Amino acid sequence: MESPDVFTLLPLEMNPTTKIITANPSSTALANELEALNALHKGLLNVGTPTGTPPPPVPVNPTRSAQIGKLRESGNAEFRKGNHAQAVKLYSLAIDMALGRPHWEPSGLVREEISGLLSNRAQANMAQQHWAEGAVDAEASVEMKKVGNAKGWWRRGTCLLEMGRLDEAEAWVKQGLEFEATEQDLVQLKQEIEKRKGGKAAH
Amino acid sequence: MWPFDAVDWVMLTIPFAYITVLFGSLYTFSNIYRKRKVAKAAALEPWFPPHLQRNVYLSLLHMESPKCPDSILKAALLRRATEDIQRIIQIRSAKQALQVLLQRGSVGDDLWQRFQRAEKEIEEELRDVVNEANAFAPNWGQTIFQSASEMAQNNHIRERLSEILSTAQSEKEWWEKRKATIQSDFMKELDDEKAVKSPAESSYGGSVKGVKSMSDDDAVLVEAGGPAEKAAKAKKKKGKH
Repeated sequence: MESPDVFTLLPLEMNPTTKIITANPSSTALANELEALNALHKGLLNVGTPTGTPPPPVPVNPTRSAQIGKLRESGNAEFRKGNHAQAVKLYSLAIDMALGRPHWEPSGLVREEISGLLSNRAQANMAQQHWAEGAVDAEASVEMKKVGNAKGWWRRGTCLLEMGRLDEAEAWVKQGLEFEATEQDLVQLKQEIEKRKGGKAAH
Repeated sequence: MWPFDAVDWVMLTIPFAYITVLFGSLYTFSNIYRKRKVAKAAALEPWFPPHLQRNVYLSLLHMESPKCPDSILKAALLRRATEDIQRIIQIRSAKQALQVLLQRGSVGDDLWQRFQRAEKEIEEELRDVVNEANAFAPNWGQTIFQSASEMAQNNHIRERLSEILSTAQSEKEWWEKRKATIQSDFMKELDDEKAVKSPAESSYGGSVKGVKSMSDDDAVLVEAGGPAEKAAKAKKKKGKH
């Protein structure tokens, strides 16, 4: 980094109508940075505060949370009715909406929402025997929230087991048990995997 | 007048000249020494790469005809603050380890100097960003880094997520292929069995359940039995939620 009173003048240009900043000539890093900047600028334009600056992370604007909650509820309802494909679609919508939150809103909230939604989507995928998609969703869910997400751990373990990837499933469940040692379902799943492995060895 | 007549002015200049020369040379040398040290520190490789976001922001700020609108400048300042957050996290996490290494003599003094310079620079940078923010909107300086740190976190989350979710397609393809091979193997096995057994017993091949008990690895892939049972179990989990 340069010293505090020096900077490198970059060859930036602004489109007067669209207000999009471009560089000429440009490098990949600069182009990426400007793309991010333009996206952020677009988001910042409809932030709705009088000063045009992002509000502090808390309190959160409740509108989007309510919308996400509604989508999740209707997803759950479809799931209960047995329309698993529809439920997956609704959960995906809710996930997109949660990911569409402005980036300056609390990341903890995003993690929480996304992990729950992904876990539900994994569930709906599993109900349709889409084990591969279920496994990926559950993995993502766990990545977002490792502690207190026993269902996520269990779901990916089950999916891997269903796909016959016993070694992976075993490693996964073992890791899960480090976080959720008392979870009965995980313990059972582990036993089941071991049984299957034993059965395979004996084969 | 008495005391001034008695003083030999010419002789008195000698000690004064001595003192002047002495302190003058001390001052000059210390100055040169310090300048050299700073120059040497500056010649060391900087800790961080060029601050792209800062350059973008300042370039925009100095843009003439047309002047850059405030909203873009605010966005650029936020990007700059986000990068600063990442840098300060790096500095904080590196500090302890570096101190220990320095005490043990595992790393050279150069590295420590580079680090300290980076630390000082980042402090300056943070102060500068806060000032700029306050210039845009009153009290924005107090929250800009909160927003920036959430932004850094959020970027990280989205990156990780898209990384994981992008594997879904290949995973799915892999599974489809695998399912197909397992199924065809299974069918072949069934056919073989059928061929071996007498035609009277051929109904056995049709009943999947019977086979399931034989090789429960493959049973999952067959439409009957396994998956339905699993789905029921899955539903039970859901109910608990």
